Amino acid sequence: MSGKRTYDEDDDFSESSNSSGYDDDLDDPLFGSSKKTKTLTVAKRKPNEKVAEEVSSMDHLAHLPTGYVPDVVSKMFHRHDFSYLELKPDHASRPLWISPSDGRIILESFSPLAEQAQDFLVTIAEPVSRPSHIHEYRITAYSLYAAVSVGLETADIIAVLNRLSKVPVAESIINFIESATVSYGKVKLVLKHNRYFVESPQADILQMLLKDPVIGALRVDSANLTSSNGLTTAKAPTQGGLVIPGTKPGESSDNVEDIYAAVVGEKAAQEEEDDDDAFDAVHSFEISNDSVEVVKKRCQEIDYPVLEEYDFRNDQRNPDLDIDLKPSTQIRPYQEKSLSKMFGNGRARSGIIVLPCGAGKTLVGITAACTIRKSVIVLCTSSVSVMQWRQQFLQWCTIQPENVAVFTSDNKEMFRTEAGLVVSTYSMVANTRNRSHDSQKVMDFLTSREWGFIILDEVHVVPAAMFRRVVTTIAAHAKLGLTATLVREDDKISDLNFLIGPKLYEANWMDLAQKGHIANVQCAEVWCPMTSEFYQEYLRESARKRMLLYIMNPTKFQACQFLIHYHEKRGDKIIVFADNVYALQEYALKLGKPFIYGGTPQQERMNILQNFQYNDQVNTIFLSKVGDTSIDLPEATCLIQISSHYGSRRQEAQRLGRILRAKRRNDEGFNAFFYSLVSKDTQEMYYSTKRQAFLVDQGYAFKVITHLHGMETLPNLAYASARERRELLQEVLLKNEDAAGLEVGDDADNSSIARKDGLKRAQQSSAGQKKAKAQRTAGSLASLAGGEDMAYVEYTGNKNKELKEHHPLIQKMYYKKGKK
Amino acid sequence: MVRVITGSLVECDPSIRALILQIDSTEHDIVIQELDDTHLLIDKSKVEYVKTMLNKLLAANTYNPLDDEENNDH
Repeated sequence: MSGKRTYDEDDDFSESSNSSGYDDDLDDPLFGSSKKTKTLTVAKRKPNEKVAEEVSSMDHLAHLPTGYVPDVVSKMFHRHDFSYLELKPDHASRPLWISPSDGRIILESFSPLAEQAQDFLVTIAEPVSRPSHIHEYRITAYSLYAAVSVGLETADIIAVLNRLSKVPVAESIINFIESATVSYGKVKLVLKHNRYFVESPQADILQMLLKDPVIGALRVDSANLTSSNGLTTAKAPTQGGLVIPGTKPGESSDNVEDIYAAVVGEKAAQEEEDDDDAFDAVHSFEISNDSVEVVKKRCQEIDYPVLEEYDFRNDQRNPDLDIDLKPSTQIRPYQEKSLSKMFGNGRARSGIIVLPCGAGKTLVGITAACTIRKSVIVLCTSSVSVMQWRQQFLQWCTIQPENVAVFTSDNKEMFRTEAGLVVSTYSMVANTRNRSHDSQKVMDFLTSREWGFIILDEVHVVPAAMFRRVVTTIAAHAKLGLTATLVREDDKISDLNFLIGPKLYEANWMDLAQKGHIANVQCAEVWCPMTSEFYQEYLRESARKRMLLYIMNPTKFQACQFLIHYHEKRGDKIIVFADNVYALQEYALKLGKPFIYGGTPQQERMNILQNFQYNDQVNTIFLSKVGDTSIDLPEATCLIQISSHYGSRRQEAQRLGRILRAKRRNDEGFNAFFYSLVSKDTQEMYYSTKRQAFLVDQGYAFKVITHLHGMETLPNLAYASARERRELLQEVLLKNEDAAGLEVGDDADNSSIARKDGLKRAQQSSAGQKKAKAQRTAGSLASLAGGEDMAYVEYTGNKNKELKEHHPLIQKMYYKKGKK
Repeated sequence: MVRVITGSLVECDPSIRALILQIDSTEHDIVIQELDDTHLLIDKSKVEYVKTMLNKLLAANTYNPLDDEENNDH
């Protein structure tokens, strides 16, 4: 309809959809090269909107095959009427249906072919929703990039889709796949023998790059190997010989070709083998180390983004790290599968692996480190998880404790050996403010080295800017991002694609739960009606105060008390989550349970956590959002959530993750419980449904409980009388709005939502610090009149510190000493 | 002189009662008598109006994933 009707101008389409397109024939006229370049120019700009754009530009009536007669209802579907797509005669045995308009794939997960189809789809498409019977995936430009980066090729993707689909794959989808994959992944930047090579299986692409004025000039002539066309030809890399530790050689079956063998059938795989022999020579030319950045940037500009691979087996410059998995360590099939995506051709690719919480992300990271066997740096979100990573490394592999260094605000260590492991936090490394002398020294050490491998834990929580700083300051050859929930409320997920790499693997939660790798969880949403007094106030108050009111709802408190009581009796260990610190304290103190929030000192935290783990008397703890991630409590089997961070889907999933690793998960008929307490008829209902979206997409079902039986008869029920409730209400109303605020953490959700008023407050406070002309403090009359003890404090600062530059003489004497 | 108003008895949750009272606080001529925690007597002619207002207010607390998708698309 618009000017972009490039796809419609050929008449082949009606032929191709009429012709018996079932037999996977790829000699379609559509694949002509002129076609390719055309789609490319349109499609390059915005990978996200490509499909939509294409479709809107197609006049869909033009696509109707000649013999097609619309039936009575088809016009009700408008542009979404695809009944003209002819079903293949044996469609019942094929599990897929692909929507021609938006690349959505519907998979019948009950089909016998489904398992293989799933393996394939996870590689080429994003899983959108995976409940028990019907799965939904979506092909996006990024998912196709990821597919290409693990070694799939355009023709193969289309062929397999065609084989699995109930209807012939629509032209729009074929176009889309082609345009997204035609250039991506064709050029690789490989570091081997300590030299950088630009590598490609297609010589003509390299020729083109060499003709480019920028890149051509940067080529380094390596003397003898160069053939007449200026390229070096070598055999393509294979996985040959590389065994991921913890797996048995020969059993590591899940590399890409096997996915085909399973899906395409033996014959096709055979043919492919033959092809491989003929084609799998790669061509390369060398560039110098300092021009790497320039070449990368230039390649991006001319739409041939480079894939980075690290040929760690041929890297002699960086010393090997003596690290191996302990013989007793076994890795699980899905961990192996994810790693085989990473090391598919015997080199390390950068990318992200998505596994549910508690499914052993740490072990995946450790195994990857043991495969690369070079210096490793691990970055995580908090100092608690730093200690956990360190401990896990020592537990699972043979690394010596002296080779493991920890870099946090409390510990600043370096390893003394040539190669080693450093565990640190994002904020330590990304800090741009002045550092202490010690930490500056460690930082210099980190930035001056070349790292073989960097593990980025919980990649979804780190603000993009901080991330960029980390990735640029530390020179690492291979990057691995680990996360459970690749969703963010601030839409920065796509940034990760370029900062780290494509998503290599995403596990299916339900599948893992069925196989007993993670716990089975019963999810429930408990509706707590607001008492009428509270609701009246709720209607009257401002938005922030409202939040306090629905959290402190007495009915909710009672429900919480009842559930704790009930589950303690069953012998469960319970974690209660509250984002709001005021509510957390109020609940915990009233119920006489220990609680941890951001302000709890480290020592006390450890104490409480240990008691929770080993003490029979302590069965319930209250955690603020500091407990959302990385606190590892395998004892916990029940989780109650009383307040949450607005509609954050990520937080919900992370919290669920706290009980997925339940120790007792393999007991017969064991279930973990996840309760979310929601005040009825309030904003919370809205947030609650939104928060569940991610878990529902993973296949979890939330039960709604409207009434807890026996709650009223519970002995010592809190706020049972109207007077107590009124007192609580008075107390809540007296709280100022700040009490409703959330605890500040350095994660992405916070920064996106709280930024606005945080900024304002920061400005105010910084302005206040600079020009504090008057100070207001509360005090008793007696103290104002001088009737109390008083200490004299002088507030004038040290005048020496105000001097920006010391006298040269002093500088000479003093700083010289300091340097020594 | 005796004025006759036909009323409707409304039985509802305490929270809905509070909502109706809030609607009434701006219009003033809806609620005739507050009976107890779960019962109100309201003007019969205003029943439809109260219904639509309640629907509007409660819809604000319902999350519809489709809305979200539309917002993202634009």
